[in-house]
Amino acid sequence: MSSSATLRTGGHPPTPGRVAVELVVNGVPLAASLDPRRSLLDLLREQLGLTGAKKGCDHGQCGACTVHVDGRRVASCLTPAVQAHGRQVLTIEGLSPAGSPLHPMQQAFIDHDALQCGYCTPGQIMAAVACVAEGHATSPEQIREYMSGNLCRCGAYVGIVAAIEDAAMKMAATTMATAGRSAEMPEARHAAV
Amino acid sequence: MNMMPFADLARVDAHDKVRGAVAFAADDARPNLAYGAFAVATIGKGRLASLDVAAAEAADGVRLVLTHANIGAVASAGFIMGGGYGFQSHQPLISPEIAYRGEPIALVVADSLEAATHAAALVRATYETAPFAVELDAPGVEVVDQAETPLAHFIPPVAAGDADAAYARAPVQIDARFASAPQHQNPIELIACVAEWQAGRLVIHEGTQNAEAVRHGLAAALGLDAGLIDVVSPFVGGGFGQKNSLQGHTVLAAEAARRLARPVKIVVPRAQLYHLASFRPANRHHVRLGADRSGRMLAAIHEAQAQTSRHDLFPGEYATTSARLYGIADFRGKDELLRTDAQTPGYMRAPFEHIACFAFESCVDELAYALGIDPVALRLANDTTVDAVTGRPLSSRHVGQCLERGAAMFGWERRSMAPGSMRAEDGGLIGWGVAIGTYAGLRAPAIAKLKLTDDGRVEIRVGVHEMGQGVRTALAAVLARKLGIAPEHIVAIIGDTRAAPQHLTAGSWGTATAIPVVEAAADALLARLAELAPGGVSNREPAQILRAAGLPELAVEVQGKAPGQPDAIYDRLKAGLPSIGGPVYPEFVTYSYIAHFVEVRVEATTRRVRVPRVVSVADCGRVVSPRTAASQVRGGVVWGIGAALREASEVDPRYGGFLNADLAEYALPVNADIGAIEVAFVDEPDTRFNSAGVKGLGEVSMAGVAAAIANAIHHATGKRLRELPIRIEDVL
Ligand code: FES
Ligand code: FES
Repeated sequence: MSSSATLRTGGHPPTPGRVAVELVVNGVPLAASLDPRRSLLDLLREQLGLTGAKKGCDHGQCGACTVHVDGRRVASCLTPAVQAHGRQVLTIEGLSPAGSPLHPMQQAFIDHDALQCGYCTPGQIMAAVACVAEGHATSPEQIREYMSGNLCRCGAYVGIVAAIEDAAMKMAATTMATAGRSAEMPEARHAAV
Repeated sequence: MNMMPFADLARVDAHDKVRGAVAFAADDARPNLAYGAFAVATIGKGRLASLDVAAAEAADGVRLVLTHANIGAVASAGFIMGGGYGFQSHQPLISPEIAYRGEPIALVVADSLEAATHAAALVRATYETAPFAVELDAPGVEVVDQAETPLAHFIPPVAAGDADAAYARAPVQIDARFASAPQHQNPIELIACVAEWQAGRLVIHEGTQNAEAVRHGLAAALGLDAGLIDVVSPFVGGGFGQKNSLQGHTVLAAEAARRLARPVKIVVPRAQLYHLASFRPANRHHVRLGADRSGRMLAAIHEAQAQTSRHDLFPGEYATTSARLYGIADFRGKDELLRTDAQTPGYMRAPFEHIACFAFESCVDELAYALGIDPVALRLANDTTVDAVTGRPLSSRHVGQCLERGAAMFGWERRSMAPGSMRAEDGGLIGWGVAIGTYAGLRAPAIAKLKLTDDGRVEIRVGVHEMGQGVRTALAAVLARKLGIAPEHIVAIIGDTRAAPQHLTAGSWGTATAIPVVEAAADALLARLAELAPGGVSNREPAQILRAAGLPELAVEVQGKAPGQPDAIYDRLKAGLPSIGGPVYPEFVTYSYIAHFVEVRVEATTRRVRVPRVVSVADCGRVVSPRTAASQVRGGVVWGIGAALREASEVDPRYGGFLNADLAEYALPVNADIGAIEVAFVDEPDTRFNSAGVKGLGEVSMAGVAAAIANAIHHATGKRLRELPIRIEDVL
């Protein structure tokens, strides 16, 4: 946990100045020079080319930009990129890297046709994975409440709830199987993002 | 024709979508991109007196500021319903005139989004203001009778029999007025484009339902040869009518990219798109329905008023829809358009049908209660096989089956008729409501190019756009079945003006437009393969036959159009103009149908209305892609719940424009608003309409939902609520 890491500003910053940050994105350590006004979403999308997280409002109102920071789901459009300094960021691209099998949540979204246009989908899936890890996927009612920060204008909610119920069971089975190897549960982290 | 139902096929692009691997227009991070941001007008109407962009131009990273003063020879591309290509004829930034609050007055282009956004806030304007009207009853609103406009040529007023006399004689009369607030489509994908010039060609990447109109509209606006413009829109992050034609920002992005010789990306912020794109107009209705004492509907009159802009006439087609719900011999409709100072309103899912069915099906429910007849039985008793407006036969109509199956699935026989007679265990009121919906069966011309290569790959190029309705999956389903190959081997190149002419995809005509032509192309390919294999194809895959014949590839091209359309329709298609046939064809009339059954719960103390379950049964002809079709219906039901209980764009009579211009203040349905939605299909092919037997689905899915909800609320509370959205205070 590196919440106490300090930020370094450049020697001769052009107005309004740039800030150097270091963060780990999808397991890869990165250093970036930033406009301090830049959101984490715009850092990911415009600077790092990770366009899986989407912009639907830029105001924390739709959830399309949901990513994980230190294991917690955040609206990356509302997270200043400098705030990700020293942190672990997981995006949809890192959930199942190219060539590796899909995460159970991704497969469940396919199986239950929990999408139409697919624009909200990366955010839905990142939120859904966190929703399960938080222990907020124990009933359809609870899933609906804890997934209500992610809007789907196509109206795929019935499929989304079914997919999360399905994936939650598979994720629980996987967690049980690997519990012997690692005592640390991903949802046990509580960073002050 | 293969009469078997289609198999359940997973959405073919879902694997990419769940990995975030689908590239929408703004998913472009090239290092040399420039970013555009708008400054917008802050008055309701008037004229720019001064515009000071010096601070913006001097700001760090700014490369260009476009305003009316330096835009040059950019023109309006015209209004799509007036022979042009745009959602409205008013192109912002080409004159100092301000038609409505929120229209752009400057485009700032900079090296980064942050720099552009910051500099746009530095633009200063002063105005000469003019009086404006944004509400339907405001002074200065001009009322236009649609029958006296050029729109009447293609949307003639409904006039069957003598409705006024027949209504006056009817022993039972229902007379009611309805209204709906304006609403915004709000797809989650923001309006966005990347414009770039490549060796003298303009290439536009934009999520649009109408790549061909964007292309030809840009040619008109910028004085270019359309042959030098490509528009690429492989995936749309939701359209819902908002992205059905050229929008002003695309013209400005193209012009900025030309001046900077750099690709320019514009992503319109959510707050701004409430004024930069179309919306569902405010509308209101006076419906009169006459019947005999047995419940036979004898006459109806549907008079509608809907908002339009000062600069365009966005048509109303309300009565044309309500006249098709039943076989009412005497029916009169009237549409009036009210000119207000807003951007031109436009199409939003089930644009007229949602409201027409809300109004008319509410009246039908009132009739059922006036007569003490079960609402399902009353509807079944008024079924028809003939289109009462034209006297022509309906190519197919299975709404009776929708009602009967839906009633059985829902458990309708357990309903007690009296309002307030059903209670939940927690003391809340239970209401069960039903309504039907209908939507015109439309078809546009299409050209399909099908190519088989010896590696087994099949490429289909055709005019249709994928905005989530699942047309890629439908194309894969029909080609896989026709050609006997796996869907993975099929690649659809769609939404791309380089591939084939791209007619507007809207109005639920995409399937009936593309699928019959693509099936015909597959038949043509199979015929050519049979010629290549004189000894018979004997269970060989197409690519095996091709290889045996020593050919690297085989390509066919097939075109198709709606019944009765002239061959010249293909010229309109290629010119990017709307070329829609139907629902009245020379020999028949085609509509899709649906029946919705809704349960509402009204909480005892808060009176909050919830919709725990919906059953919907649709008649959309042959279901080509069962899985994505079911999602379309569920989506339509969610839209109906939103329109009935949540969504309203609040206008500001003091300053103009829309007030609640974001997703926190404009309440869309969220996950917790939605319960169970059970969907079934009649799945009877309509081969009179087209060889594939398909009718439209996406729009009809929403039609009637709001009425079923309002009827359920009446059943729960005894209150007839006739204004949308219905809010808690209406149920108190
Ligand atoms: S884009 Fe971040 S919540 Fe909408
Ligand atoms: S799938 Fe289109 S917004 Fe959710």
